[in-house]
Amino acid sequence: MANQPTTPNTEESGEAITRRKLLSWLTGMGVFGSVLVSAFSNFIFIKPRATYGQPNRFSVGKPDEYPAGSRMTLDARRICIVRDGDRMEAISTTCTHLGCIVATSETGFACPCHGSHYDQDGNVTGGPAPKRLPWFQVRLAPNGELEVDKDVEIEPGTYFNV
Amino acid sequence: MNTRVALAIVAVLVLVVHGFVFYKQFFNNWEKHQTAYFEQARSLAKTDAERAALEGRKPRIEQIIVTQFGDSRVDRCLTCHMAADDPRFQSYGLPLKTHPYSAELGDFQKDGRWERRHKFSDFGCTVCHDGQGRGLESFYAHGEDTFWPDPMLGYVTQANWHAEFRPKLLGKEFMQSNCAQCHTEENFTGTPLVAGGRQLFFEKACYGCHRLEGLSAGTLGPDLSEAGKKYKINYLWEHTVNPRAFSAVSFMPKFDLTDDEIKALVVFLKSRRGLNFSETSIEQYRARLHETKAAPGASLPAAIPPASRGEQLIAQRSCTACHKLGDKDGHIAPDLSFEGLIRDDDWLLAHFKNPRSRVPDSIMPSFGFPETDFTALTSYLASRKTVPTFNNAEEIYKGICARCHGEKGDGNGITHIYLDPAPRDLTKVAFMNSKPLGRFLTALAHGVPGTSMPSLERVLTETQRHQVLDYVFVTFVKEPRKELKEHKLPDQNPIAMSQESADRGEKIFLERCTGCHGRKADGKGPNSLDISPRPRNLRNYAFVQNVHDRRLMDSILYGVQGTAMPSWIDYGLSQNDAGDLINFIRSLNRPSRSSAPADKTASLTHP
Amino acid sequence: MNNQTSVRPWTAFTELPGNVWRSIFRNPIPHSDLGRSATSFTNFFLHVQPVKVHRHSLRLTYTWGLGLISLFLFLILAVTGVLLMFYYVPSTTQAYDRMLDLRGTVAFGIFLRNMHRWSAHAMVAVVFLHMCRVFFTGAYKKPREFNWIIGVGLFLLTMFFSFTGYLLPWDQLAFWAITVGTSIASYAPIVGKDMKFILLGDSSVGQEALLRFYVLHVAVLPILVSLLIAVHFWRVRKDGGISRPPEEDEVFPAANTEPLALAAAASAVAQPVAPKLALKASLEKKLYGIQGIVRGPFTKIGNVPDRSVFSWPNLVLVELLVFLVTVAGVLIVSLYFNAPLEEPVNIMHPPNPAKAPWYFLGLQEMVSYSAFWGGIGIPTLEVIILLLAPYLDRKPGGVGTWFSRERLLANSLFMTFVVVNIILMIIGTFFRGPNWEFVSPW
Repeated sequence: MANQPTTPNTEESGEAITRRKLLSWLTGMGVFGSVLVSAFSNFIFIKPRATYGQPNRFSVGKPDEYPAGSRMTLDARRICIVRDGDRMEAISTTCTHLGCIVATSETGFACPCHGSHYDQDGNVTGGPAPKRLPWFQVRLAPNGELEVDKDVEIEPGTYFNV
Repeated sequence: MNTRVALAIVAVLVLVVHGFVFYKQFFNNWEKHQTAYFEQARSLAKTDAERAALEGRKPRIEQIIVTQFGDSRVDRCLTCHMAADDPRFQSYGLPLKTHPYSAELGDFQKDGRWERRHKFSDFGCTVCHDGQGRGLESFYAHGEDTFWPDPMLGYVTQANWHAEFRPKLLGKEFMQSNCAQCHTEENFTGTPLVAGGRQLFFEKACYGCHRLEGLSAGTLGPDLSEAGKKYKINYLWEHTVNPRAFSAVSFMPKFDLTDDEIKALVVFLKSRRGLNFSETSIEQYRARLHETKAAPGASLPAAIPPASRGEQLIAQRSCTACHKLGDKDGHIAPDLSFEGLIRDDDWLLAHFKNPRSRVPDSIMPSFGFPETDFTALTSYLASRKTVPTFNNAEEIYKGICARCHGEKGDGNGITHIYLDPAPRDLTKVAFMNSKPLGRFLTALAHGVPGTSMPSLERVLTETQRHQVLDYVFVTFVKEPRKELKEHKLPDQNPIAMSQESADRGEKIFLERCTGCHGRKADGKGPNSLDISPRPRNLRNYAFVQNVHDRRLMDSILYGVQGTAMPSWIDYGLSQNDAGDLINFIRSLNRPSRSSAPADKTASLTHP
Repeated sequence: MNNQTSVRPWTAFTELPGNVWRSIFRNPIPHSDLGRSATSFTNFFLHVQPVKVHRHSLRLTYTWGLGLISLFLFLILAVTGVLLMFYYVPSTTQAYDRMLDLRGTVAFGIFLRNMHRWSAHAMVAVVFLHMCRVFFTGAYKKPREFNWIIGVGLFLLTMFFSFTGYLLPWDQLAFWAITVGTSIASYAPIVGKDMKFILLGDSSVGQEALLRFYVLHVAVLPILVSLLIAVHFWRVRKDGGISRPPEEDEVFPAANTEPLALAAAASAVAQPVAPKLALKASLEKKLYGIQGIVRGPFTKIGNVPDRSVFSWPNLVLVELLVFLVTVAGVLIVSLYFNAPLEEPVNIMHPPNPAKAPWYFLGLQEMVSYSAFWGGIGIPTLEVIILLLAPYLDRKPGGVGTWFSRERLLANSLFMTFVVVNIILMIIGTFFRGPNWEFVSPW
């Protein structure tokens, strides 16, 4: 291993140079490839697959539990279930300004922290809030219960029809 | 150049291994199950809503976090068992199968749909099933890993469980012990095995030795209040079937139990996990206050005569779980059928209050019954005075002696392992033929104090006693007796009892005797395990107080033939030394001590 | 390139990749000796090494790369350890659950845990083997005595490192190994009881102990070990590189030469104003290398055949090879063997037998005879003898060859020490069953 020439390469044959180049290329590929793969693996490792808080998709009970015209806030889940006739929706109750929990008010939602106001559909009507309150997907699970998925935001005005 | 070649090879190898590790990560079984579920569900979907619900669903870890039962539980079981709450999958196979609906569990039908009484989102899975909720591979999740303390009850047996018992530990009825975590009512209809096990716990007199918080107060055996948390069902089962399977020194008796009875006991014990989910600490404290009252049948009318009250008590307190009485026999403890002929009232009462005050190594627990119960039991037992009739010596032996000394006379009767000192092996010729007949006849007539050998004077006539002794010699000893050589020994200990003499005796004892008789002289020296019969417990005061100086001296100086006791005169002990030893042994068993047997560790610590 | 001619604005962009590259790597891949030396001392990671190394130092059969492997294992441990910290919680109620999660839900979790566990085991073994190599080749002799002491310190720290990590999974194995280990520490005279109490933060192993061991494991010990490793490497260079047998044409500095005197001499050359005359006599007897002032043997330049080669690429390639082999080994072992995880802690019920990690089983075996002598007395004596070895064994001969005849006595003594310890470990690992009774492993 230590007995390789250290004299200038000009003395070596062209064949040796090509071989050396191939080997260097292989080594480089191996090392560089491994670094890439492990860097990517580490990224996957660090991104949690299961979190320790409550899951983002959860059941909120049967549609019958929400009478028509009701607005039910579930503070632990940070959503508000609205039922209007046969149409249902789940609106986030996390203020889009700085993350406080908004409370229902007569006109819609109001944030106690910095005075943001939203209407009944979650549109901003006043205060510093930059965006409307998002709507989350509501689906009917096979066991007949409503399931809200906070990972999926839907277009406001898309209702779930009971 | 060699370096470069090696480098290239290793670099490529590292890349390949990296690639393999990376590849392996992406084909988890749970992802396959979920993909299969989505496919099936799509084909089963009838309405647009159902189809919409499945849109864009990708495999991901499903979990239920349950915080209402003690520590928060993370159950990820639904990650594989996606269809558990989807009623369309009832006819599918595992893992994609609907969890059965069952009216027994409280599920009910409403508008043609099943509704669950125990919703998965509220209860999770492991509350009922056990297993490892965090695992995502069935081997770990189901608790097949031998290191996991709670394998799925009734579904999973671990690899290191005894193969013989494994099939018996399967069946969903084992889960009743988890139902009982919340449904603590004594006769809850959903947990018949727990109720049955509780009943057996008293019927088989387990309560005498074991403590169960709020139920019993025994102290002789381990406290089982948290048995369900400490032990897996295989341990509970096997330990009940064979108490010595896990601990060679266990003296727990082997009870006659059917498999169904054992199952009920195991389920009952598995349900004992200390604080139950539905119990508060206050409730537990209250239960502890009532603990001593909890012995069954405590409320009998006191007006009836003590003897018949005693008879009832004997039935209720399950004495025959161990003892023989009439035609009931627990095969563990002595025959009480003619106890009135063997023991007197004082002996019985004292023995009830503290069994070890009469037989120092008895395994009978000290039951914490009220005084009146003891007197009732005593008067009943003392009233059993019917003399049994026997036609010949063989009948006598089989009827009375064989229970302990064994059918073959080898000391291995059904009760022998529970008796300490063990019943004499009557086939040991060396012993039987080196002791005078008078000694055997005395033992038959008056019993051997401090042991379970009863006094048969009033059970057998003198002729019958001679007959049965002859029978023993003819049937078991077989070899003819020779004329016994009388050793020249004084009748009384030649050394007067004094502290100096006892000290000299202690010195000799520590030098010569501790290997077998133990430093405490309790017969439990390091060599005692390999010796049969076991060395005598010299702190058995009932025995020592009644044994004559001459016999002790004979045994010390000339040994006991047929046992490991050597003839110490050959090793330089004189009669005076033996006298000192006798004084030392007697000093350990002074009458004042007999009332305080707990004081065993005194005096013999270090010379 | 054409920097003399007018600089057109867009060339700044066309030459951007090359310029960025050159600003990072100051030298192109070298094709001349000058370039090779420049590569070494202009690169932060390479300048730790000398520009030229002796051919003897590159001989695999001399060092077996053990020191390097130890370093690389330490690096692997640092990287995997930091990654595992993302998911670990040092809490008695959560630690075991987090282990289950690493095995169950976290992508690559079990694999990283395996890598960490097996690298830790390997590091203890390799550091020990490295120590054996150094002893059997007499490499601890003057002027490397102090580096030997640092090495012994690193070995002890490695063991302690491994020991602190053992508790973190909070399973039965961990709990009882630590209970046994800290009880051994309590037998130390005078400070023993306090040491145990401080280590555990409580009278028994519990939450406090877990937190303390965690802090030691992830903060205190890594810093200490890194520092000592840095000093260890620096000393390797300053003590004249890796030990090798003396060569006939080498000139040793006069025995009484102090580095300070040499420094003075060097400055005297640089500054002619300094009192030249006073030093002239001593200068004539002395030589000094261009790298700076070193204590090792110098090679006369020009007069003798040059036995050294350039670090780039000769040494660098060998180092890379050793690194890759180490990584490959750890990866493959981690792929096929899972790190053990026993039952959750049960403070009422020790497993039978309760065994420490294998490298402590020799100690545990000795402890089973006498807690003080086995756990404190003999190990302390062993460490003291190890520390004193270079100061007791002062004969200069036998350096640089394995099992040199001149060092028969020292090597035999050390071999006995090694063999006895290994036998004790084997007995503890394979021949001890429940209640620490002698059992046959087959």
